[in-house]
Amino acid sequence: MRRRRLYGLAAFGAAAALTLAACSSSGSSSSSSGGNTSGAGSAPAFNSGVTSVVNPSTHKGGTLTFDWRAAPDSFDPGNTYYAAVWNFARFYSTALMTFKNCPGSCGKTLVPALATAPGVASDNGLTWTYHIKSGVKYQDGTPVTSKDVKYAIERTFDRGVLPNGPNYFANLLGGNAKTYPGPYKDRAKNLMGLTAIDTPDATTVVFHLKAPFSDMDYLLTIPQSAPVPPDKDTGASYQTHIVSTGPYKFESYQLNKAAVLVPNTEWNASQFPTVSQLPSKLVVNMNMNPNDVDNRLLAGDAQVDFAGTGVQAAARAKILSNPTLKAQSDAPITGFGWFFYIDSQVAPFTNLACRQAIQYAANHLTLQNAYGGPVAGGAIGSTVMPPTVAGYQNFDLYEATTKTQGDPAKAKQLLQTCGQPNGFSTGIAYRSDRPTETQGAQALQQALSAVGIKTTLHGYPSATYFTNFAGVPKYMSSHNIGIAFGGWGADWPDGYGFLSQLVSGPSIVPAGNTNIGMLNDPVVNDLFTKAAGITDEAQRNAIWGQIDRQVMKDSVIVPIVYAKALIYRPPSLTNVYFNQAYQLNNYAVQGLTGG
Amino acid sequence: MVTFIIRRLIGTIFLLIVVSMITFAIFFLIPRLAGQNTYQLAAQYVGRNPTRDAILQVERQLGLADPLYLQYGRFLRGIVFGAHYRTGPTDTYCPPPCFGYSFRSQLPVWPQMISSVPVTLSLAIGASVLWLIGGVSIGVLSALRRGTLFDRFSMAVALAGVSLPIFFTGLVALELFSYKWPIFPNVQYVPFTDNPLLWARNLVLPWLVLAFLYAALYARLTRAGMLETMSEDYIRTARAKGLPERRVIFKHGLRAALTPIVTIFGMDLGLLLGGAIITEVTFSLHGLGLFTVQAINNQDLPEILGVTMLAAFFIVIANLVVDIFYAVLDPRVRF
Repeated sequence: MRRRRLYGLAAFGAAAALTLAACSSSGSSSSSSGGNTSGAGSAPAFNSGVTSVVNPSTHKGGTLTFDWRAAPDSFDPGNTYYAAVWNFARFYSTALMTFKNCPGSCGKTLVPALATAPGVASDNGLTWTYHIKSGVKYQDGTPVTSKDVKYAIERTFDRGVLPNGPNYFANLLGGNAKTYPGPYKDRAKNLMGLTAIDTPDATTVVFHLKAPFSDMDYLLTIPQSAPVPPDKDTGASYQTHIVSTGPYKFESYQLNKAAVLVPNTEWNASQFPTVSQLPSKLVVNMNMNPNDVDNRLLAGDAQVDFAGTGVQAAARAKILSNPTLKAQSDAPITGFGWFFYIDSQVAPFTNLACRQAIQYAANHLTLQNAYGGPVAGGAIGSTVMPPTVAGYQNFDLYEATTKTQGDPAKAKQLLQTCGQPNGFSTGIAYRSDRPTETQGAQALQQALSAVGIKTTLHGYPSATYFTNFAGVPKYMSSHNIGIAFGGWGADWPDGYGFLSQLVSGPSIVPAGNTNIGMLNDPVVNDLFTKAAGITDEAQRNAIWGQIDRQVMKDSVIVPIVYAKALIYRPPSLTNVYFNQAYQLNNYAVQGLTGG
Repeated sequence: MVTFIIRRLIGTIFLLIVVSMITFAIFFLIPRLAGQNTYQLAAQYVGRNPTRDAILQVERQLGLADPLYLQYGRFLRGIVFGAHYRTGPTDTYCPPPCFGYSFRSQLPVWPQMISSVPVTLSLAIGASVLWLIGGVSIGVLSALRRGTLFDRFSMAVALAGVSLPIFFTGLVALELFSYKWPIFPNVQYVPFTDNPLLWARNLVLPWLVLAFLYAALYARLTRAGMLETMSEDYIRTARAKGLPERRVIFKHGLRAALTPIVTIFGMDLGLLLGGAIITEVTFSLHGLGLFTVQAINNQDLPEILGVTMLAAFFIVIANLVVDIFYAVLDPRVRF
């Protein structure tokens, strides 16, 4: 009996060992198959996709599968605020402007899409005129007109029906934009009730602004400017019946589950060189298990991680430890910045010296580690804007990149200056469902305690972080929370797109506030106003740099890292490269190898 | 029997009303008591950096500014009579049972929920067949071969099945049988009506993983029940009367041991029909479980309310079926 028991135990142990060995084996069959069958040049290496096109190919056919750990706020181009959806939306919608198809900083260059050329400003920058290409058709063959562009923007004014997209048009347009209720309520004038936009003929769109805004071309890259036929618009349910002007159209869409797109036969490739029609089918699988997404990419069952924000920790370890897999991945600077705010309205942070003390007290190395280290997390930041944003200037006011573990002595000196020689108590807010922020908050707590600053951690769910807690100035003050973790990605890759919602005084709101530092610096506000009236790009970019420097002087933001993401590119995926404008790989040109 | 069923169905309706009131209170009233106002609630559903006007528009659209009793009344009326929602150029009619309007996707809740039901049904019913057959069979054999190597080995495996969480066994199963050795590649739900074979093939791994957990439990329950009933005097009498052993085991032994198993099965199946959350999340199956997780993550209160009501309905109906089945199983039970 005893021997049988021993044999039984041995058999079980052997089975368990085999199972564990199988689970820990690296690589996958796909890593040794496929490859660059139709591309040119040398074999791709780690980070090839950051500066060059990996697997360039014009091969057509195949099913390009996108796996996504979430679902869109909406696929409706007028009702979405997700970067990944803005990127993907170019497959089925055509905004007035777009970005050039090239890797590196070249990808931030504005080029026309539906428009024939960039806008022409007149009337001291208060009027912008665009002409749309003629002969453009929807998927059902009906022609696109300027009125459809106007209507597309008008419908975004009804936030009760389409609440998700950005608010720029309502804030920037003149005429009756302030009171216009949207075409669903205002049925007058053939649904053309918004006086801020004129359509003198079928191919001309004229925007009237309430103040000069030199970033108009950037603004019109967002999909809210993609035309929508009024007679086919069904409001909130349009997301399930989108009428395409892009290379693909929806064949089916199960809300929040899966979407299938097939080629749009009415699309004219010669008119739109910035998007391609290579795969025979696009499939988007939504709300997938994040680890499952990574495993399916590695196994070749899917080709693109729709979110594009990098693999999870388990896959990261697998990829970085396997030379073959590592050569098939990139870790670009995404254009996203992780940082924490210092609320200048919460005592004692009303005193500049106290805020600056935090800059020196923070241990940037432990913070960087909390966010994934230098490879997967990103380089230690010293500016608000990441290097990929137009207008970025390299400076380091608080020696974050040279004294990476902080300067406690200097911090204590500043605490003395601000009248807190023995430190003080404050709260740190963070999103408790984000492991990086949780670890970051803990690392910061430890660093601050070394200089006598006692902190209490306050974790909140992401869904309500800005609307109910950190983004509610009254809540922060009443709960003595002086520090809040956050991050930002620009709506478009220049200083205005990155900075305006973070640090301009007018952006402060009672709920959903993203200027959590509560910065209302007249110097900063004046620089924004000045930049809005300058059409010369170089001059504007210089001003963004000045704003960044002033904000860092005001010390309401402590940069942590310029975010990186470890993105895996399966060998079967073609035309792969990182696009700095969308802060993701450029989906609109991707295809599949023939193998 | 008919009177019993009608009585239970009426009781079910009252129970669901109570469940709806409690759920409504938890998700709509308690946040207010905690200091959250409707403006803040609406702000969650307006995208990034909303204007005040945008938030107020959403607040009006979602009816958040109305008194709670009005919101609840509107919700109940929608279930019985349906409701109209302003969704654009024309209003959308949501036929009964209408569980409200999703804060997040700006579309009625019921169609989204009901489209998830076939996935959960497929998962729950398939797994339940496997665990019933497997668990009960192993339990019976273990009881009849008490103390043998088979008994010890099967109970050890049952212990492992009960101890190992689904997110572990599921991930191991996927790693081995979907990615490393692609016997079941690309595990995604395919509707039965589209391709029955693919439907079954893609559900084998989730079925086995889910059944492994429950079969273990049922094996131990069945074994314990069988050991008790097989030692009863009437079993000895049946054998003494010369009945075939198979008849003694199944007609007299197992039948008596099944009563607690049927009770537990009703509860288990009812709970699973409300959403096998961990299995669906692990395998990315878009059933009610995954729908529930998304609703909670999105703090989409109408969706949370709808799925809670549906889950409660399944549990109550499953228990009703179990109670009816008792009469079939045990002739002593009368209504």
